[in-house]
Amino acid sequence: MMCAIAIVRQSVRSILNAKTLLVYSFLLGFLLYMVTPFLIIFFNSFGKGWYGMRWLPQGWTLNWYQWAIEVADIPEIMKNTLVIAGIAVVISTLIALPTGWALGRRHIPGKELLTALILLPRMIPAITFALGVAKIFYGLHLVDTFLGVALAHVALAAPYAILVLSATFESLDERVLEASAVCGASPVQGFFYVILPLILPGILSSIIFTFTTSYNEFTMTLMTYGPHTVTLPVRTYLAVGEGYWEVSSAMAVILIIPSLFILFLIQRQLQPEKLVGGFKGV
Amino acid sequence: MSDYMIEFVNVTKRYGDIVANEHITLQIKRGELMTLLGPSGCGKTTALRCLTGHNRPDEGRILIDGQDVTDLPTYKRNLGMVFQNFALFPHMTAFENVEFPLRIRGLSQSKRREKVMEALKLVRLEGFGSHFPRQLSGGQQQRIGLARALVYHPSVLLLDEPLSNLDAKLREEMRFEIKDLQVRLGITAVYVTHDQEEALALSDRVAIMNRGRIEQVGTPEEIYERPGSQFVADFIGLSNFLEGTVTAVEGQMTYLAVDNLSLCVATTAGAWVGQRVLAFVRPNEVELAAPGAISGPEVLEGVVEKTTYLGDKVDYRLRLGDRLMLRVQSGGIVRFKPGEHVAVRLPIGRCRVISGGKP
Repeated sequence: MMCAIAIVRQSVRSILNAKTLLVYSFLLGFLLYMVTPFLIIFFNSFGKGWYGMRWLPQGWTLNWYQWAIEVADIPEIMKNTLVIAGIAVVISTLIALPTGWALGRRHIPGKELLTALILLPRMIPAITFALGVAKIFYGLHLVDTFLGVALAHVALAAPYAILVLSATFESLDERVLEASAVCGASPVQGFFYVILPLILPGILSSIIFTFTTSYNEFTMTLMTYGPHTVTLPVRTYLAVGEGYWEVSSAMAVILIIPSLFILFLIQRQLQPEKLVGGFKGV
Repeated sequence: MSDYMIEFVNVTKRYGDIVANEHITLQIKRGELMTLLGPSGCGKTTALRCLTGHNRPDEGRILIDGQDVTDLPTYKRNLGMVFQNFALFPHMTAFENVEFPLRIRGLSQSKRREKVMEALKLVRLEGFGSHFPRQLSGGQQQRIGLARALVYHPSVLLLDEPLSNLDAKLREEMRFEIKDLQVRLGITAVYVTHDQEEALALSDRVAIMNRGRIEQVGTPEEIYERPGSQFVADFIGLSNFLEGTVTAVEGQMTYLAVDNLSLCVATTAGAWVGQRVLAFVRPNEVELAAPGAISGPEVLEGVVEKTTYLGDKVDYRLRLGDRLMLRVQSGGIVRFKPGEHVAVRLPIGRCRVISGGKP
């Protein structure tokens, strides 16, 4: 009897082990699938003579980074990218604050339809949208200006910002605001002590969304950029076209740095607890 | 110093065409717990919001401690308030929630700490200062709400259905806790609820509201024993209504013809023969006996239509005469089964006329 139980137990355990193994191998496979392209770009940006069926480059070098910085003028292009992203963030936020407030806190007839319309730029293919925008911007002389490229990005970034902020404002509990007034807080005090802390996580995530949208945007930039407004994603693409795989790899790696920085910032600075508190309102 | 802590003077508030409060006049004494009681939509919340300053009355004045506050913004009224959904600040700990009104009032940190600890002790949550609201149970959240409302010694404590988001058992417990605190602190309180049992248990006086008006103001006993209108008699406790015509007035006894039955009730001033009146009797005040066991002018005969066992009492639906239905509740075991004939005593003193028609 005891023996039978032991055998059953062992076989159950081995099935469990097999299952665990399977799960882990799937996870590992998926991880490789996601990470491999990045690893290849990474090795490529530091590697020398990596052709054919070789597992690793023949040697290592920092030349491609030097080229990217000195020849392709990456610092200037990075500056363009960040300035455009900055303008896009400011404009998107300025649009999204009142729009989000209206959608989140007021009864508006046809709210669903409006929300759908706001999302339209994200629904139709970017290149279709970009062509239309380019046609208008050529007429308005907005092509190859920081404002023009940023405005093109806003069309894609603002819907995100509006959605995030309207959800944030919607979760603000009217009673909590009333409670602050009853407790003796003037409207200004109520704003700084209660409203702002509750909506700040939403505003920050909206800013992060819009920033990364603009920073990563390729299609819209391609149709509106000019010699003065080359952004990093476009420059990287151009470098490939010019045949410099290693240099464009270096650019691609540089391109990731701000994203990693933001990821780090989210992890460290925003307390997940307060983020949830801000969204859910309780 | 005014005798009254809170006064509503002829307050009217309209929302478009809807009159939410119509000529509300109400005086609340110092240290008194006044309940605004009524069904949803009766205007009790509107009245409370006029008092907090979240509503501006269209007509009339509101006085707190003799001072006209009608045009004073909420934050200058020095009120304490407990909300139905607790309305704690979700981004602050329990301690910070209670501390908030003191921070607004610019108290020093050591003073704040002392007062917050005192308030947390008052609601028996000393150890929970570092918890966030979502980490607390409903009852605990409401006690923090209570501490936040009391910590700065407001002139008035307002409670807006504070117990309706709690489960039944906790509700009963908290009821006594709130009453105890209010008495101990001697604070004037306005309590809004639709729960009549809560209102009777807690209040010094109750204002019953219906359709934007105050129907009756009185102690719990007064409104239960001497309801001023059919609405009040119906809303507070259970009532049987008997509509009839006065056939004779003989000293303390007045005879009514209800359908084809003759009923005997206590005489009210100004009763006259031929007057149409409405009388009521509570189901638990009616006595039942075997047919023939009791007699008198106030005894009628009836047939049991339905018997419902409720544990601590039995609920009978009786038919008197041809179509008059009477609900009776009596304690103990089931004594009569459907179809049985019973003698029904409607005690003269308990069968009361609420309203009479004009000549």
